[in-house]
Amino acid sequence: MCDDTTIQIVDISTPVMNKNDRFAASNRELLSGKNIFTLNLISSPGAGKTTLLESMARFFGSKMAVIEGDVQTDRDAERVRKAGCQAWQIETGGSCHLDAEAVNHALGHMDLESDELALLCIENVGNLICPSGYDLGENLKIGLISLPEGDDKILKYPSLFSRISVLIINKMDLLPHIDFDVNRTIDECRSLNPEVMVFTISAKTGEGMEEFCGYLENQFSG
Amino acid sequence: MHELSLARDMTRIIGKVLGGCRPLDTVNITIGPLSGISPESLRFCFTEVAKMEGFGEPKLVITETEAKLICLDCNVEYQAKEFYQGCPSCGSFSRRILSGREFTVDSVEIMEGTD
Repeated sequence: MCDDTTIQIVDISTPVMNKNDRFAASNRELLSGKNIFTLNLISSPGAGKTTLLESMARFFGSKMAVIEGDVQTDRDAERVRKAGCQAWQIETGGSCHLDAEAVNHALGHMDLESDELALLCIENVGNLICPSGYDLGENLKIGLISLPEGDDKILKYPSLFSRISVLIINKMDLLPHIDFDVNRTIDECRSLNPEVMVFTISAKTGEGMEEFCGYLENQFSG
Repeated sequence: MHELSLARDMTRIIGKVLGGCRPLDTVNITIGPLSGISPESLRFCFTEVAKMEGFGEPKLVITETEAKLICLDCNVEYQAKEFYQGCPSCGSFSRRILSGREFTVDSVEIMEGTD
Protein backbone atom coordinates (compact mmCIF):
# COMPACT_ATOMS: atom_id res chain seq x y z
CA MET A 1 0.00 0.00 0.00
CA CYS A 2 2.96 2.26 0.57
CA ASP A 3 3.72 2.03 -3.12
CA ASP A 4 0.63 4.10 -3.86
CA THR A 5 1.81 7.20 -1.99
CA THR A 6 4.32 9.79 -3.03
CA ILE A 7 5.83 12.67 -1.14
CA GLN A 8 5.51 16.07 -2.74
CA ILE A 9 8.07 18.61 -1.54
CA VAL A 10 6.96 22.25 -1.71
CA ASP A 11 9.67 24.88 -1.50
CA ILE A 12 8.84 27.70 0.95
CA SER A 13 12.23 29.41 1.60
CA THR A 14 10.71 32.24 3.61
CA PRO A 15 12.24 33.98 6.64
CA VAL A 16 9.60 33.87 9.37
CA MET A 17 10.26 37.49 10.37
CA ASN A 18 9.59 38.77 6.82
CA LYS A 19 6.16 40.20 7.62
CA ASN A 20 7.38 41.92 10.79
CA ASP A 21 10.38 43.32 8.95
CA ARG A 22 8.18 44.73 6.17
CA PHE A 23 6.05 46.57 8.74
CA ALA A 24 9.22 47.74 10.52
CA ALA A 25 10.57 49.18 7.25
CA SER A 26 7.26 50.92 6.63
CA ASN A 27 7.25 52.38 10.17
CA ARG A 28 10.82 53.56 9.72
CA GLU A 29 9.99 55.26 6.42
CA LEU A 30 6.88 56.95 7.86
CA LEU A 31 8.70 58.21 10.97
CA SER A 32 11.89 59.34 9.26
CA GLY A 33 9.72 61.17 6.68
CA LYS A 34 8.32 63.20 9.56
CA ASN A 35 11.76 63.66 11.17
CA ILE A 36 10.72 61.66 14.23
CA PHE A 37 13.52 59.81 16.04
CA THR A 38 12.26 56.55 17.54
CA LEU A 39 13.32 54.50 20.58
CA ASN A 40 12.40 50.91 21.45
CA LEU A 41 12.71 50.63 25.23
CA ILE A 42 13.08 47.08 26.59
CA SER A 43 13.41 45.86 30.19
CA SER A 44 12.00 43.38 32.67
CA PRO A 45 8.74 44.36 34.45
CA GLY A 46 9.33 46.91 37.20
CA ALA A 47 12.73 48.18 36.01
CA GLY A 48 11.32 51.69 35.70
CA LYS A 49 10.48 52.16 32.00
CA THR A 50 7.35 54.22 32.65
CA THR A 51 9.02 56.28 35.39
CA LEU A 52 11.83 57.00 32.92
CA LEU A 53 9.27 58.11 30.30
CA GLU A 54 7.53 60.36 32.84
CA SER A 55 10.87 61.94 33.63
CA MET A 56 11.67 62.32 29.90
CA ALA A 57 8.20 63.82 29.27
CA ARG A 58 8.98 66.54 31.80
CA PHE A 59 12.23 67.25 29.92
CA PHE A 60 10.94 67.08 26.33
CA GLY A 61 7.26 68.10 26.75
CA SER A 62 5.38 68.22 23.46
CA LYS A 63 8.52 67.24 21.48
CA MET A 64 7.87 63.68 22.64
CA ALA A 65 5.15 61.06 22.08
CA VAL A 66 4.85 57.57 23.55
CA ILE A 67 3.49 54.19 22.50
CA GLU A 68 2.93 51.96 25.50
CA GLY A 69 2.92 48.18 25.20
CA ASP A 70 1.35 46.12 27.95
CA VAL A 71 -0.40 42.80 28.18
CA GLN A 72 -3.37 44.47 29.85
CA THR A 73 -4.62 47.90 31.07
CA ASP A 74 -3.88 51.45 29.88
CA ARG A 75 -2.35 52.47 33.21
CA ASP A 76 1.02 53.35 31.70
CA ALA A 77 -0.39 55.53 28.89
CA GLU A 78 -2.44 57.36 31.51
CA ARG A 79 0.68 58.00 33.61
CA VAL A 80 2.64 59.37 30.67
CA ARG A 81 -0.27 61.59 29.54
CA LYS A 82 -0.39 63.07 33.03
CA ALA A 83 3.33 63.85 32.71
CA GLY A 84 2.47 65.96 29.66
CA CYS A 85 2.81 64.08 26.39
CA GLN A 86 0.74 62.25 23.83
CA ALA A 87 0.50 58.52 24.53
CA TRP A 88 -1.17 55.57 22.78
CA GLN A 89 -1.64 52.26 24.60
CA ILE A 90 -1.30 48.90 22.85
CA GLU A 91 -2.82 46.09 24.90
CA THR A 92 -1.31 42.90 23.51
CA GLY A 93 -3.95 40.72 25.20
CA GLY A 94 -1.46 38.07 26.29
CA SER A 95 1.37 38.43 23.82
CA CYS A 96 4.80 38.86 25.43
CA HIS A 97 6.22 41.44 23.00
CA LEU A 98 5.29 44.20 20.58
CA ASP A 99 5.59 43.57 16.86
CA ALA A 100 5.98 46.09 14.05
CA GLU A 101 2.41 45.55 12.81
CA ALA A 102 0.94 46.52 16.20
CA VAL A 103 3.14 49.64 16.22
CA ASN A 104 2.02 50.43 12.66
CA HIS A 105 -1.65 50.34 13.78
CA ALA A 106 -0.83 52.53 16.79
CA LEU A 107 0.86 55.11 14.54
CA GLY A 108 -2.39 55.33 12.57
CA HIS A 109 -4.17 56.53 15.73
CA MET A 110 -1.61 59.14 16.73
CA ASP A 111 -1.17 62.76 15.77
CA LEU A 112 2.26 62.83 14.14
CA GLU A 113 1.78 66.09 12.26
CA SER A 114 3.01 68.58 14.84
CA ASP A 115 6.25 70.27 13.74
CA GLU A 116 7.43 70.14 17.34
CA LEU A 117 7.24 66.35 17.58
CA ALA A 118 10.79 64.96 17.29
CA LEU A 119 10.94 61.88 19.53
CA LEU A 120 8.77 58.75 19.71
CA CYS A 121 9.39 56.35 22.59
CA ILE A 122 7.97 52.85 22.30
CA GLU A 123 7.78 51.14 25.68
CA ASN A 124 7.86 47.42 24.98
CA VAL A 125 6.15 44.75 27.10
CA GLY A 126 8.22 44.07 30.24
CA ASN A 127 10.31 41.08 29.19
CA LEU A 128 14.04 40.58 28.53
CA ILE A 129 13.63 37.72 26.07
CA CYS A 130 10.80 37.92 23.56
CA PRO A 131 10.97 41.59 22.41
CA SER A 132 14.65 41.33 21.48
CA GLY A 133 14.18 39.83 18.00
CA TYR A 134 11.38 42.12 16.80
CA ASP A 135 12.45 45.20 14.86
CA LEU A 136 9.72 47.82 15.35
CA GLY A 137 11.21 50.39 12.99
CA GLU A 138 13.15 52.18 15.72
CA ASN A 139 16.36 54.18 15.35
CA LEU A 140 17.66 53.08 18.74
CA LYS A 141 17.09 49.91 20.78
CA ILE A 142 17.59 50.66 24.48
CA GLY A 143 17.98 48.08 27.25
CA LEU A 144 17.13 49.19 30.77
CA ILE A 145 18.08 47.34 33.92
CA SER A 146 17.66 48.44 37.52
CA LEU A 147 19.70 47.85 40.65
CA PRO A 148 17.22 45.59 42.50
CA GLU A 149 17.37 43.08 39.62
CA GLY A 150 21.01 42.26 40.43
CA ASP A 151 24.28 42.84 38.59
CA ASP A 152 24.39 39.37 36.98
CA LYS A 153 21.63 39.82 34.42
CA ILE A 154 23.50 40.90 31.30
CA LEU A 155 25.06 37.56 30.38
CA LYS A 156 21.79 35.72 31.14
CA TYR A 157 20.00 37.57 28.33
CA PRO A 158 22.58 37.83 25.53
CA SER A 159 19.99 38.01 22.76
CA LEU A 160 18.83 41.41 24.05
CA PHE A 161 22.04 42.88 25.41
CA SER A 162 24.02 42.06 22.26
CA ARG A 163 21.51 43.97 20.11
CA ILE A 164 21.03 47.22 22.03
CA SER A 165 22.73 50.51 21.20
CA VAL A 166 22.21 52.04 24.66
CA LEU A 167 22.23 50.48 28.14
CA ILE A 168 20.56 52.40 30.95
CA ILE A 169 21.19 51.38 34.55
CA ASN A 170 18.29 52.77 36.58
CA LYS A 171 17.48 53.27 40.29
CA MET A 172 21.02 54.49 41.07
CA ASP A 173 19.53 56.20 44.16
CA LEU A 174 19.37 52.70 45.72
CA LEU A 175 23.12 52.06 45.36
CA PRO A 176 23.91 52.64 49.08
CA HIS A 177 21.40 49.93 50.02
CA ILE A 178 22.05 47.24 47.42
CA ASP A 179 25.06 45.09 46.48
CA PHE A 180 25.25 45.97 42.81
CA ASP A 181 28.55 46.19 40.96
CA VAL A 182 27.93 48.84 38.29
CA ASN A 183 31.30 48.24 36.62
CA ARG A 184 30.63 44.50 36.34
CA THR A 185 27.36 45.20 34.53
CA ILE A 186 28.98 47.67 32.16
CA ASP A 187 31.98 45.39 31.48
CA GLU A 188 29.74 42.38 30.79
CA CYS A 189 27.55 44.40 28.44
CA ARG A 190 30.61 45.72 26.57
CA SER A 191 31.98 42.16 26.27
CA LEU A 192 28.87 41.26 24.23
CA ASN A 193 28.49 44.61 22.61
CA PRO A 194 31.68 46.72 22.44
CA GLU A 195 30.02 49.85 21.04
CA VAL A 196 27.15 50.15 23.57
CA MET A 197 26.57 53.59 25.16
CA VAL A 198 25.92 53.46 28.92
CA PHE A 199 23.96 55.86 31.15
CA THR A 200 23.58 55.48 34.92
CA ILE A 201 20.45 57.26 36.09
CA SER A 202 17.71 57.51 38.66
CA ALA A 203 14.50 58.29 36.80
CA LYS A 204 12.95 58.99 40.22
CA THR A 205 15.42 61.58 41.52
CA GLY A 206 16.50 62.86 38.09
CA GLU A 207 20.15 61.81 38.54
CA GLY A 208 21.79 61.36 35.12
CA MET A 209 18.66 62.44 33.23
CA GLU A 210 20.21 65.59 31.80
CA GLU A 211 23.07 63.61 30.25
CA PHE A 212 20.71 61.00 28.81
CA CYS A 213 18.17 63.49 27.44
CA GLY A 214 21.03 65.64 26.09
CA TYR A 215 22.40 62.60 24.27
CA LEU A 216 18.96 61.94 22.70
CA GLU A 217 18.55 65.58 21.75
CA ASN A 218 21.87 65.41 19.89
CA GLN A 219 20.64 62.33 18.05
CA PHE A 220 17.49 63.92 16.72
CA SER A 221 18.64 67.50 16.24
CA GLY A 222 21.74 66.33 14.84
CA MET B 1 6.93 32.31 24.79
CA HIS B 2 7.20 34.32 21.59
CA GLU B 3 7.52 30.85 20.04
CA LEU B 4 3.68 30.73 19.98
CA SER B 5 3.60 33.85 17.78
CA LEU B 6 6.37 32.38 15.65
CA ALA B 7 4.49 29.08 15.23
CA ARG B 8 1.44 31.06 14.02
CA ASP B 9 3.69 32.99 11.62
CA MET B 10 4.96 29.66 10.28
CA THR B 11 1.46 28.33 9.52
CA ARG B 12 0.50 31.68 7.96
CA ILE B 13 3.50 31.49 5.62
CA ILE B 14 2.86 27.82 4.73
CA GLY B 15 -0.87 28.45 4.17
CA LYS B 16 -0.08 31.34 1.87
CA VAL B 17 2.27 29.30 -0.32
CA LEU B 18 -0.09 26.29 -0.43
CA GLY B 19 -3.16 28.47 -1.00
CA GLY B 20 -4.89 27.12 2.12
CA CYS B 21 -4.43 24.52 4.79
CA ARG B 22 -3.93 20.80 4.22
CA PRO B 23 -2.41 17.96 6.25
CA LEU B 24 1.38 17.98 6.06
CA ASP B 25 3.80 15.11 6.53
CA THR B 26 6.91 17.14 7.36
CA VAL B 27 7.88 20.79 7.87
CA ASN B 28 11.58 21.66 7.40
CA ILE B 29 12.90 24.79 9.09
CA THR B 30 16.28 26.38 9.86
CA ILE B 31 17.14 28.13 13.13
CA GLY B 32 20.36 30.02 13.86
CA PRO B 33 21.95 29.72 17.33
CA LEU B 34 21.69 33.49 17.95
CA SER B 35 18.04 33.80 16.90
CA GLY B 36 16.80 33.77 20.51
CA ILE B 37 14.40 30.93 19.67
CA SER B 38 14.08 27.82 21.80
CA PRO B 39 13.72 24.84 19.39
CA GLU B 40 11.94 22.73 22.06
CA SER B 41 9.46 25.47 22.84
CA LEU B 42 8.84 26.10 19.14
CA ARG B 43 8.23 22.38 18.55
CA PHE B 44 5.71 22.30 21.41
CA CYS B 45 3.85 25.37 20.09
CA PHE B 46 4.00 24.38 16.42
CA THR B 47 2.53 20.92 17.07
CA GLU B 48 -0.54 22.50 18.68
CA VAL B 49 -0.94 25.36 16.21
CA ALA B 50 -0.57 23.08 13.15
CA LYS B 51 -3.22 20.70 14.47
CA MET B 52 -5.65 23.51 15.38
CA GLU B 53 -5.28 25.21 12.02
CA GLY B 54 -5.85 22.12 9.85
CA PHE B 55 -2.27 21.19 8.96
CA GLY B 56 -2.47 17.79 10.68
CA GLU B 57 0.40 16.52 12.81
CA PRO B 58 3.53 17.07 10.71
CA LYS B 59 7.04 16.15 11.82
CA LEU B 60 9.01 19.34 12.47
CA VAL B 61 12.56 18.87 11.22
CA ILE B 62 14.83 21.61 12.59
CA THR B 63 18.21 22.31 11.01
CA GLU B 64 20.33 24.20 13.53
CA THR B 65 23.03 26.21 11.77
CA GLU B 66 26.29 27.60 13.13
CA ALA B 67 26.79 31.32 13.59
CA LYS B 68 29.51 33.13 11.66
CA LEU B 69 31.41 35.68 13.72
CA ILE B 70 34.42 37.90 13.30
CA CYS B 71 36.63 38.61 16.33
CA LEU B 72 37.08 42.34 16.95
CA ASP B 73 40.31 41.76 18.88
CA CYS B 74 42.26 39.54 16.46
CA ASN B 75 40.16 39.63 13.27
CA VAL B 76 39.78 35.85 13.05
CA GLU B 77 36.54 34.70 11.43
CA TYR B 78 35.02 31.72 13.20
CA GLN B 79 31.87 29.63 13.62
CA ALA B 80 29.96 29.00 16.86
CA LYS B 81 27.11 26.70 17.88
CA GLU B 82 26.06 28.80 20.85
CA PHE B 83 26.32 32.33 22.23
CA TYR B 84 29.15 31.81 24.70
CA GLN B 85 31.61 30.26 22.33
CA GLY B 86 34.38 32.84 22.10
CA CYS B 87 37.11 33.33 19.55
CA PRO B 88 39.08 30.06 19.16
CA SER B 89 42.23 32.05 18.58
CA CYS B 90 42.28 34.61 21.45
CA GLY B 91 39.22 33.71 23.59
CA SER B 92 37.54 37.12 23.22
CA PHE B 93 33.74 37.51 23.13
CA SER B 94 34.04 40.84 21.44
CA ARG B 95 32.86 40.11 17.91
CA ARG B 96 30.70 41.20 15.05
CA ILE B 97 27.89 38.83 14.13
CA LEU B 98 27.90 37.97 10.42
CA SER B 99 25.10 35.38 10.61
CA GLY B 100 23.35 33.17 13.14
CA ARG B 101 20.01 34.94 13.70
CA GLU B 102 18.22 33.29 10.77
CA PHE B 103 14.87 31.57 11.10
CA THR B 104 13.27 30.29 7.89
CA VAL B 105 10.59 27.88 6.79
CA ASP B 106 12.48 25.94 4.11
CA SER B 107 9.95 23.46 2.71
CA VAL B 108 7.01 21.23 3.50
CA GLU B 109 6.42 17.63 2.50
CA ILE B 110 2.95 16.44 1.61
CA MET B 111 1.96 12.78 1.37
CA GLU B 112 -0.06 12.18 -1.76
CA GLY B 113 -2.13 9.00 -2.05
CA THR B 114 -3.48 7.54 -5.31
CA ASP B 115 -6.97 6.91 -3.98
